[in-house]
Amino acid sequence: MALNDSNSLYARRRWRNRLATALSVGAAGFGLTWLVLILLVLVIKGVGGLSLAVFTEMTPPPGGSGGLLNPIIGSLILTVIAVAIGTPLGILAGTYMSEYGRYSKLTMVVRFINDILLSAPSIVVGLFVYEIMVAQMGHFSAWAGAVALAIIVIPVVVRTTEDMLLLIPNTLREASSALGVPQWLVIRYVAYRAARAGMITGILLAIARITGETAPLLFTALNNQFFSWNLNAPMSSLPVVIFQFALSPYSDWQQLAWTGAFIITVAVLGLSILARVLSSKKVAQ
Amino acid sequence: MTSLAIHTDMKQQPPTPAAETSDKLAKKVSVSNLNFFYGDFRGLADINVDLYKNKVTAFIGPSGCGKSTLLRVLNRIYDLYPNQRAEGEVLLDGENILASHYDLNLLRAKVGMVFQKPTPFPMTIYENIAFGVRLYEKPSKSELDDRVEDALQRGAIWDEVKDKLDASGLSLSGGQQQRLCIARTVAIRPEVILLDEPCSALDPISTAKIEELIDVLKKDYTIAIVTHNMQQAARTSDFTAFMYLGELVEFDETGKIFTNPKEQRTQDYITGRFG
Repeated sequence: MALNDSNSLYARRRWRNRLATALSVGAAGFGLTWLVLILLVLVIKGVGGLSLAVFTEMTPPPGGSGGLLNPIIGSLILTVIAVAIGTPLGILAGTYMSEYGRYSKLTMVVRFINDILLSAPSIVVGLFVYEIMVAQMGHFSAWAGAVALAIIVIPVVVRTTEDMLLLIPNTLREASSALGVPQWLVIRYVAYRAARAGMITGILLAIARITGETAPLLFTALNNQFFSWNLNAPMSSLPVVIFQFALSPYSDWQQLAWTGAFIITVAVLGLSILARVLSSKKVAQ
Repeated sequence: MTSLAIHTDMKQQPPTPAAETSDKLAKKVSVSNLNFFYGDFRGLADINVDLYKNKVTAFIGPSGCGKSTLLRVLNRIYDLYPNQRAEGEVLLDGENILASHYDLNLLRAKVGMVFQKPTPFPMTIYENIAFGVRLYEKPSKSELDDRVEDALQRGAIWDEVKDKLDASGLSLSGGQQQRLCIARTVAIRPEVILLDEPCSALDPISTAKIEELIDVLKKDYTIAIVTHNMQQAARTSDFTAFMYLGELVEFDETGKIFTNPKEQRTQDYITGRFG
């Protein structure tokens, strides 16, 4: 049977190919449209409010002038503590699952639970931390907020660490073991190095994820009108301030909420791009 | 052993009993009644074979016959996987390495292995070599430099990399990577070197370099090589073992295996009638 354009089977296949391509492009475009629209609205509404005062002044009372200094610093503090708690735990758990307990029942159980935690609504995490920390201590605190965010960081880091370590071919582990390298050194000097870019990407994605979380902070760190280093006291954060200011009737507060949303989005976008660059570097190797 | 003589008609040679030849040789590794299991599947059945000191022993046979499995027992690398186990006795200098108390890291430092696919570590060329050396010794900076150079010389790759020791090991070509891996194995001064199809991913030029290397290395090391390439076995080895379906069919001097095999199956395999 000769293959040419007039062959009906082949012609139909080509037509189906065009249809499938068109549908795929359409779906991708549909998704992209909303993203572009969201970014566009944020830029239009947010950029106008950007000024030096946003980064140097406290949140104002209604009608007063001010900025977002305390929520920006608060978000940074909460994020740093959450990552400092969550990353080591996540990396250690992921390392166990990929390297030490790859074939154990415990790993299967942990992987299953971790996947549930990964998709758990963040408000549930907030309520949980409220019960175990805020209710016990009797007051809201930055610590509670950081712990809530850490609980969101852990499953993301566990998952990416395990996935990235599993991608390393066993031949590399065998090759290092065959030199008489003890397992912990194989992990530290060979497995971690080979998976480094992917693992850092996972941490960056976890940071991007918690940067915008509001629900777990509402019940834990609450908010603070003033600048505070005290981790035992409520602390301000960008998402909560945006939530509060956006719902307020005051137009200057609403403007600050837009500006805050713009800042968060730019930060998350930056982290995502950095994560992309790092993971593509790994492929280039 | 450079002449490759594959004859179907058997040349009559003065019979030299294998036992008499073996007595002059020192047994470095002695495998007896070895059985190996992947779960319930028996991958090796009652293997008896010796590796002689400063000799090259080749393992040939069709895919899946257990050659690599046997090699992987000799440094117990199979131990990384929970459902693989070996039964029997493997003596290294008279000590049973299958004994549960045998220290695996020390065993692997004594019995080095080079794999089919080149496996440079994600580090610089220098670090690829130095990593293993530092595990068991505390050399000064200049001693370490010497060790790295010496290993790369022995791996016949020094001239190609001496100006870029800080480049990533992954930046080398496949043949260079494999020689780097051999250098890395040699650097920790093992006693036995296991080569698991070291040339199967390489071009003929790199293959020739590695075969030359094997010839040099056997002065200092006991070598076992698994290969699918019959000419390679004939060229590089002093002894050859033919394996089939998990059994060791025949083990003798390479010349005898290739010119005057005792077993019909060996004859059929080396003449290409099956495999």
